[in-house]
Amino acid sequence: MDNLAALLDGFATVAQPQYLLYALFGVFVGTAVGVLPGIGPAMTIALLLPLTYSLDATAAIIVFAGIYYGGMYGGSTTSILLNTPGESASIVTALEGHKMARLGRGAAALATAAIGSFVAGTIATVALTFVAPVVARWAVQLGEPDYFALMVVAFVTVGALLGSSVSRGLAALALGLFLGLVGTDTLTGQQRFTFGVPSFADGVDVVVVAVGLFAVGEALHVGSRLRHGPVHLVPVERGWRSWMRREDWRRSWKPWLRGTAIGFPVGTIPAGGADVATFLSYATEKKLAGPHRAEFGKGAIEGVAGPESANNAAASGVLVPLLTLGLPTTATAAIIIVAFQSYGIQPGPLLFESQSSLVWALVASLYVGNLMLVVLNLPLVGMWVKVLQIPRHYLYAGILLFGALGSFALNFAPVDVLVLLGVGLLGFVMRRYGYPVAPLVVGMILGPMAEDRLRRSLAISQGDLTTLVASPFAATAYGVMALLLVAGLWLKRRERAAGAVTSGHSSDDTSGHSSDDASGHASDDVSGPASGSEQDAGHDPGSGTRPSHAATSEETNR
Amino acid sequence: MTTPTSVATSPDDGRTALAALRRRPGELVAALGVLALGIFVLVDTRTIVVPGSANTLGPRAFPYLVGALLVGAGITLLVGLARGRHGEEEGGEDVDASVPTDWRTVALLVAVFLAHVLTITTIGWPLAATLLFGGSAIVLGARPWWRALALGLVLAVTVQVVFGGLLGLSLPPGPLFESVAVFRG
Amino acid sequence: MTGPRRTIVLAFVPSALGREAARVARDQAALTGARVVVVNTTRADRLVDLRWADEQQVAEVVALLRRGGVAHEVRHAADDRLAAEVVLDVAAEVGAALIVIGVRRRSPVGKLVLGSTAQRILLDARCPVLAVPATPPDDALPR
Repeated sequence: MDNLAALLDGFATVAQPQYLLYALFGVFVGTAVGVLPGIGPAMTIALLLPLTYSLDATAAIIVFAGIYYGGMYGGSTTSILLNTPGESASIVTALEGHKMARLGRGAAALATAAIGSFVAGTIATVALTFVAPVVARWAVQLGEPDYFALMVVAFVTVGALLGSSVSRGLAALALGLFLGLVGTDTLTGQQRFTFGVPSFADGVDVVVVAVGLFAVGEALHVGSRLRHGPVHLVPVERGWRSWMRREDWRRSWKPWLRGTAIGFPVGTIPAGGADVATFLSYATEKKLAGPHRAEFGKGAIEGVAGPESANNAAASGVLVPLLTLGLPTTATAAIIIVAFQSYGIQPGPLLFESQSSLVWALVASLYVGNLMLVVLNLPLVGMWVKVLQIPRHYLYAGILLFGALGSFALNFAPVDVLVLLGVGLLGFVMRRYGYPVAPLVVGMILGPMAEDRLRRSLAISQGDLTTLVASPFAATAYGVMALLLVAGLWLKRRERAAGAVTSGHSSDDTSGHSSDDASGHASDDVSGPASGSEQDAGHDPGSGTRPSHAATSEETNR
Repeated sequence: MTTPTSVATSPDDGRTALAALRRRPGELVAALGVLALGIFVLVDTRTIVVPGSANTLGPRAFPYLVGALLVGAGITLLVGLARGRHGEEEGGEDVDASVPTDWRTVALLVAVFLAHVLTITTIGWPLAATLLFGGSAIVLGARPWWRALALGLVLAVTVQVVFGGLLGLSLPPGPLFESVAVFRG
Repeated sequence: MTGPRRTIVLAFVPSALGREAARVARDQAALTGARVVVVNTTRADRLVDLRWADEQQVAEVVALLRRGGVAHEVRHAADDRLAAEVVLDVAAEVGAALIVIGVRRRSPVGKLVLGSTAQRILLDARCPVLAVPATPPDDALPR
């Protein structure tokens, strides 16, 4: 029951006007970037890390939680209206949601996504409220070898599963571990890999690495292959405000609950994040659709309701290992850890005791943010469409500007901005050649901790390596890791198969499976000359041949 | 660029893989880079001083592990490349996988960024940021050029006022704005 | 009919204002027996460009002109040049006697970010320009 009391305290904190405003700011920015394809929550939080230099910890964490949640909502909006998922976790939503929009049912699709997200987000936050303290209490009893085991599990699963190729994921992980090594060894005070550069003695700043990889690297990558294809048009119907029908409610509520039940557990384990949950939910709904099964692929509302709920429930699930064990299982979670660290707070089992009020304010802000999102999301669709009209050159120039600002503001030293550029180039090369960037960040954050745990374990056991697998927990963890690997790789393969069938999308920062659906979609939607005789003459302005319809109408004109 | 002759393991499928690699030598360079970094880590770890009173696991052990992981990943990558397994380029809505890589744009963006780094302290943050925003927008296709710069100036001054003036980050205003009170925290 | 025909260039945007401009262009063309060249373009530099017409919107303009018995031609393609440049270049190429555009009030910020196509056409055109004012409210969103 103390949990409920603590949660109420959290609500009391969040209910203060300035924190409500921070929450509103967070969900607003989060939805905007969720709407914008190419800019994910990981990049946004990385870009906004400078806020931590001047805001208090509670305010910053509330903003970041809002961005994290808002991004999940925003992704569904673009999926449905434009068939361009803003997030990898929204790929499935595009399958059925965009079809629904084309049938003039866009409003219902948006509504079931938003309400489903709200229902799932709320239930999953309740689950988080009760599960997290239990996990934390249990985790306090874990020994050093157990922690080392947990980190190895995180390394291997994130490295192997967050990306298209296992060897590239592991290479990225090793790069991150190396970057984590740079600096002064905490136990012996020896400098390692500092290359004699004084500013490396404190290590490479993880903020610079995060911003460099997610913002500068992405901007350079986009610059290298700027899309110049025909633009998408928004099929927003005038009547988008129309509500869900009774039939839609009847068909939606079960997928909402099932999506939640699938999403939350999948989110808590390091198995590839929210997109895996959405694919699982989609497959489940398809199987259980019964008489509506034929509608799948043509705009089945269950195919929007389920995956969108799973997506948001998974987002809450990810917070369980993050807050209780300090284990990030997605790129965004890794950046949130960076935010905690910049306040000198280490997420882990002690967090619920040492930073109780902060944690419960965070949980309370999730409830509040969810409510804000469902209220904001539907009426503001027109505004999100405006966001999509920002020209790419200004968008990416702005990303570079704010990235440079964040790195410079660390120490007010231009050399940090130079390091940022270096990391950005690394991020560009990694994107260019299919290396996932998320394992690098995870490796860099967890690497030093893992080394610490390993050395302490072996110091206690006086060098006996069997101590690492001696405890039942550690042994189980390694066993579960093997299972997760097999299951995760199998899921990835299924997901890719599904993606290939439906010409899946790629997306923000975690997954590398890419395809070029956008231009294909655009060409059947808007581009190309108007049909038949309305052929435009714009392509050969100098030629004497006049389009046929012009000639015919000239006759009628006579 | 490095010639990919050293990777061929089996001559049969090695040939097509080599041809593919010649078209995308960067991928080979990236894999070789991972391997080279791993070797460097293994070698450089030997220079880390181990204090006499070190407990069982000193400051060298973990670096050796990381170096070994890098070397292992590098070799696996090279073997994969020789077998024709290529990386899937990271996708994205603003990324057009069908056009060739525009190295010129990347180089220009890097140049603009370098110019920003070099000018922060001399002309102040607002003007250096204007240069960064305007320059990269123009490189990415903004037209007309003066509008990109004007927009950059508005944005930079706003950031300077909000972050430098209100939130108290000590961004250098530079000689031009030195005397303006709202630009300083 | 022999001899060079008068040509009117219509800078078309899919909005109520754009459709109003199209009606004005049609009436002008019907009066003088001119033909209308409909121009609609995009730089394709953003995900959504509300000033880029889709096939159906182009078809509607064509139908409007056809109902008025006006000869017409459509220039509907993505172009790296600014919209104003495309319109002016088409006008020069076809030797336009008149350019018809829709104009509406713009905020200074909007002008800075997006620029004003209408202003550029008004200032740089080598032929008369007919500016059609917005009858409020001008819906920015396509139907």
